[in-house]
Amino acid sequence: MTVLIAVQTVVLIVLAVLVAGLLRAYATVLQRLHALDGGETASPPPFRTVPGVPAPAADAGSGGDQWGADSGIAGAVARQEWAPAHDLRGEGLTGEIISVRTVSVEHDTVLVFLSAGCAGCTVFWEQLATGRVPFAGGGRVLVVTKSPDEESPALLRQVCPPGVDVVMSSAAWSDFGVPGSPYVIVVDGRSGRIKGEGSGTSLEQISGLMQQAYGDGADLPGRRRVVKPRGDVEREVDVDRALLAAGIGPGHPSLYGADPGDLIDMSQVPAGRRLPTVAAPHAADAVGDQAGGQR
Amino acid sequence: MTPPSISGHGFTVDLPAAWEGRIYRRNVPEIAFSPDSRARVATAEGATSGWLGENPGAVVHLANFPLPVDRGDYGSGAVETMGPSDVFLAILEFGQECLGTALYSSLGLPRVRAERFDPNGLQRRIAGQAGVQYFFTVQSRPLCLYVVLGSYRNAVPLAAKANKVLDRMKVNAA
Repeated sequence: MTVLIAVQTVVLIVLAVLVAGLLRAYATVLQRLHALDGGETASPPPFRTVPGVPAPAADAGSGGDQWGADSGIAGAVARQEWAPAHDLRGEGLTGEIISVRTVSVEHDTVLVFLSAGCAGCTVFWEQLATGRVPFAGGGRVLVVTKSPDEESPALLRQVCPPGVDVVMSSAAWSDFGVPGSPYVIVVDGRSGRIKGEGSGTSLEQISGLMQQAYGDGADLPGRRRVVKPRGDVEREVDVDRALLAAGIGPGHPSLYGADPGDLIDMSQVPAGRRLPTVAAPHAADAVGDQAGGQR
Repeated sequence: MTPPSISGHGFTVDLPAAWEGRIYRRNVPEIAFSPDSRARVATAEGATSGWLGENPGAVVHLANFPLPVDRGDYGSGAVETMGPSDVFLAILEFGQECLGTALYSSLGLPRVRAERFDPNGLQRRIAGQAGVQYFFTVQSRPLCLYVVLGSYRNAVPLAAKANKVLDRMKVNAA
């Protein structure tokens, strides 16, 4: 009897292994067929930041449900870093005509791209309703939906809590290359460039990622900002723009002692933005200066 | 790159750098005023925007600072957030019954003068700020221009900023 039970158990285990192997093979075949059809994995891109800004460690994504194969995710992920931002033009929920600045302003803007019918956006709408959206740096928060011809204002009025600034603008979705909703883009107002973008499961999560990305809460509310003379601020903005026009952002190697001539294609720099050429001191002269002291 | 502009309800403005704007016209009120309806509206979510019989005109808000979503026609809700270098500008359209009256007899879009600004010219006094109001008519539209400066001390440069915007504004017939 014992021998019979042992044999039955062995046969059962063998059969179970066989079935598991068949299922695995079937899954592999399906996966390959999907790849052959040109299918892509429909999941939102994670929150990421521009080079030089510390990348957030926490995982983001998996919150969206409007990430279809035709949503252009690949295009958004492959987007050029430090992509220029755009000012917004659109309509409010009550037909108000809106023009909002995100470029060449002192504040950052947090653009939250949402939709009324997207299940992944529900959490975002609920959190917006609480009025407690602690974004790092005190950036201005704007919800951007598609235009009234693509999104129902009546439905949006139902889901959008009062006091939330909504701009209905399909052009903004196109300008920023938004792949789907929910999606968040952080615009650096002074440089006029995108400094963080991606998706997440909630505003709190994205807020946390932004706080990490901004680096140790340097701009967190409550932290006293350095008050500078207007001339200094304008000069800094001019210098930042000239550097950005030359393709130099935070973390660029040329800022850490590398020879700029090796790193920058000066033909790409507009003539008006070129900095005056300064002859590099010869190494021996430099040594001589240090050794000889005053001449 | 062409400067951003905003256009609607017969107003067009090419916005200077850092300026943004909003143009709207409130819905025609459908609730007749009565003590009961006022009490009902007061307890309901969201205040009413007028009473039956009112014919709301277009309102233009322009500012060189972020305009909040909840604003009164004369900028309440926005002016409280202004800094010393900020300017808020509102143009409000009034009904045709005002056309030809003495208050609106001035023709054409005015330009503001720094010496006209007064802390007492504000809808509600806010420390450091100053305001001014002009009434005029353009294209048979009776209009009011209300400008608030974030700093009375900087009235001259801030008034110049306001005039720069007014230079870029066109008003068409409604």
